Amino acid sequence: MNVKRLLERVPSDREAEERAWSVVRAAYAEREHVHARPRRRLMLAAVALAVAVSAAALSPPGRAVVNAVRRTIGISHAAPALFRMPAPGRLLVSGGGGTWVVAMDGSKRRLGDYTQAAWSPHGLYVIAATSNEIAAIEPSDGSVRWSLARPKVAFPRWGGSRTDTRIAYLSDGRLRVVAGDGTGDAAEAGTVRIAPAWRPGDRRQLAFVASDGQVLLLGAWRSSHRYAEPRSLVWSPDGKSLLLVTARQLILFDPASGHANVLRLRDVSAAAFSRRGQLAVVRRNALLLFDGEEPRTVFSTRGRLRGLAWSPNGRWLLTTLPSADQWIFVGGRRVLAVSHIARQFGGTPSLDGWVTDPYPG
Amino acid sequence: MDRREIALIRDAQRGSVRALEQLFRLHWPRAYRAALLVVDDAAAAEDIAQESFLAAVRALDRFDRRRPFGPWLHRIVVNRAIDWSRARTLRREIGDAAVSEPAAPARESGDRAEDIVAALSELGAEHRAVIVLRYLLDYTPGEIAELLDLPRGTVNSRLRRGLDRLEEALR
Repeated sequence: MNVKRLLERVPSDREAEERAWSVVRAAYAEREHVHARPRRRLMLAAVALAVAVSAAALSPPGRAVVNAVRRTIGISHAAPALFRMPAPGRLLVSGGGGTWVVAMDGSKRRLGDYTQAAWSPHGLYVIAATSNEIAAIEPSDGSVRWSLARPKVAFPRWGGSRTDTRIAYLSDGRLRVVAGDGTGDAAEAGTVRIAPAWRPGDRRQLAFVASDGQVLLLGAWRSSHRYAEPRSLVWSPDGKSLLLVTARQLILFDPASGHANVLRLRDVSAAAFSRRGQLAVVRRNALLLFDGEEPRTVFSTRGRLRGLAWSPNGRWLLTTLPSADQWIFVGGRRVLAVSHIARQFGGTPSLDGWVTDPYPG
Repeated sequence: MDRREIALIRDAQRGSVRALEQLFRLHWPRAYRAALLVVDDAAAAEDIAQESFLAAVRALDRFDRRRPFGPWLHRIVVNRAIDWSRARTLRREIGDAAVSEPAAPARESGDRAEDIVAALSELGAEHRAVIVLRYLLDYTPGEIAELLDLPRGTVNSRLRRGLDRLEEALR
């Protein structure tokens, strides 16, 4: 049997080739178009910077100009585009420019006009929302598997096991839950406007903050206190601890014992656990990492940071610096920045999740 | 890599559509065929090969001309094809009823070629990919191990098992 000869006899598809060439040629033309603009912008930026530096040398008010320019620029040496992610996995982002999936090689795919999104538990699908609809979609091409029209939809979150999943979301101030195949949609409870959180692992337990400020694990546990100004709920990857971020403090619950550990830390806007359980938070303009109970600053800048995602391998953190239109990757002592995010994603997107390839080799 | 290909990449980096088209025509048939043999679905193969070329266009400015273009492209094609195949078979996350999509039949014309496509489709995507890389794209087991980030022993065993299954099916 000559396998090689047989494989080479499998015909190529001439029509497919012509269709693909027309798409590739168009992308190449677009690349040339996009390519030309940054050069001009870079030149303009260089001129602006030179003018600002001169002004600073001449007068004290000029120094303010320099600082303003620095603030505008954000991290220097930023890549002009997202050529490549520093760690394996697929990143989901959403914003004014829709929902996008970004692959490690920097290629990105727009899934549609959604404003919020989240991965399914194993990264096979995406649940996305507009203000009046949630939709389960294929991350490979954005095709819609099912959708539900509901008023004032927000914070869709997909949890459960590979074979039995549920989606929680907010609609018109109520927490609702629907099965992973789009059936059995029902209202569960009144809730404040933060994302519910599915407990990790092969179970279906949902944590959320009720309208009165109590933290609830649906049907299983509730906090003894009510909490003001809640901002986010995050489970540790082993499902043993639940972190509530409020405007003034972090509260780490152990639902098994009912114990709550409080750390007074104001102005935390985002929190995330790595897959090994290390907690990182964004606080104003700094990125903090917890080694024990004490946080240490691993990165800070001039503008406010927003959003946080761990790489699936736990080696990199991604946050955003909207005032400089940048994304910032922090890995140990390395800091990588990418500029022109709004141009690449049609707006300033939020970080909806960075997941591993669903089928690692 | 021959001088002609290096020149084509250089010219394409400088903006020559003609050079890009020559590169495309040079590599499309093998890229498409490789994808088709892994996924056994003509429409998906077209998408995968096309997406791989789009990735190449996006990365063209940064491409190191000293490196061969083919292996770089083939890595993208084969890995995407494997991903696609795995995703097709494991979609229960969304409910079984929603996902029973039979693969479109590959458009074949030859008799034995048709047989080998059918025989290959009986193998898992990882096995198909190894067979395709070895016998269609002419990579050594060591190179395949590097391309797919697999131990060399795994590549050898997949090749052996894949060939055994093919021989059995084509008898």
